[in-house]
Amino acid sequence: MNAIDDDTLQAYVDGELDADAAARVDAALAHDAVLAHRVQQARAVRAQLHAAFDPVLDEPVPARLSALLQPPAAPALAGGRHAHAMHRRAPRRWYVGAALAASVALLAVALWWPHAGGDMLRMHGGQSFAAGPLEQALNHALASEPEADAQVAIGLSFRSNDGHICRSFVLHRAPARAGLACHGDGGWSVPVLTAAPSPGDDGELRQAASDLPSAVRAAIDARLRGEVFDAKQERAARDAGWQ
Amino acid sequence: MNSSDAVREGLIPLLPRLRRLARALAGQAADADDLVQIVLERALARAAQWRPDAALDRWVFAIARNAWRDELRARGRSQHLFAPEEAGEMAADRASAQPAQQLELAMALAALPPDHREVVALVLVEGMSYGEAAELLEVPVGTVTSRLARARATLQAHLGKEA
Repeated sequence: MNAIDDDTLQAYVDGELDADAAARVDAALAHDAVLAHRVQQARAVRAQLHAAFDPVLDEPVPARLSALLQPPAAPALAGGRHAHAMHRRAPRRWYVGAALAASVALLAVALWWPHAGGDMLRMHGGQSFAAGPLEQALNHALASEPEADAQVAIGLSFRSNDGHICRSFVLHRAPARAGLACHGDGGWSVPVLTAAPSPGDDGELRQAASDLPSAVRAAIDARLRGEVFDAKQERAARDAGWQ
Repeated sequence: MNSSDAVREGLIPLLPRLRRLARALAGQAADADDLVQIVLERALARAAQWRPDAALDRWVFAIARNAWRDELRARGRSQHLFAPEEAGEMAADRASAQPAQQLELAMALAALPPDHREVVALVLVEGMSYGEAAELLEVPVGTVTSRLARARATLQAHLGKEA
């Protein structure tokens, strides 16, 4: 019988046990490899979360936020709300649940990807960005000129309703993935990445929008304003650096 | 110094941690900073309610958590990334020989309900004690530990399969 229950183990990992209780866990860990492995797993979750979110601490604070905390310019306004209201920027329409869930899913992908030997994503400030071959393909590849053996196939390119250029893509190496990337200051952010049909099923590249997983289609629908780029527009956008 | 000035000046060094917490709750950077803006405005508007003997960070983090909850309620779509049909698609995909624990991990993380998500954000990301988180969330400590254990079991099980 295992004397250390899950709650105790969790409290141990989170530093919530008093010295005596912690010493008992220490003693049990010394000769229980299974228990030691569980502690290591629990610490790994914590470490991965910190690795994902701690970089935010080092980011410069956006001016619109620090401006809210400036001393009021006129003494008459001190303590009043009007001084702050002047700085107010109407928050964009936002989808907290969906955005959070998407970022958590991407965090998960970023967590497992190193194990899978992948090099297509990097995390920055809790967000995912394209890296390696994926970033290369997004920067240079044209859907109108597909390369037969490329591991990344570019699908649709279009200008999103916030003015940034987005491109859908499919990763052909296992596990097959499809996603959407949007160009911005930090490179290509990846708001959506999901499982894709395996390209080997019928030997054809799956690039048509109708073949994309519904999560990617939904992400495109939510952003698309006007038409997707034709071959000429796609090339022109690339030559302009996706601005 | 009146309470409004004290709050305003006290919030400046807390901004990085407030942004980190918001990012853990809301996800995307722009959404998280919109949340931070709402939090700052509420904190300044309610500065008179802050008592100098209370820790300013916990006071403002509580405002952040409540603002996030308000926003989730307003959206009415807080629970799941994947619509049921989508989850079905992914389950089918998983059955067909995907290296599946990875997919399961992604789904497990995405499926954390807000109750679990906020405990993970407060304790594992912000580093609050169970007692501090319980006070902020206005629930018993046992509720915090059980939510955290369930959230963690979900995440850990999948990370564990990876290792």
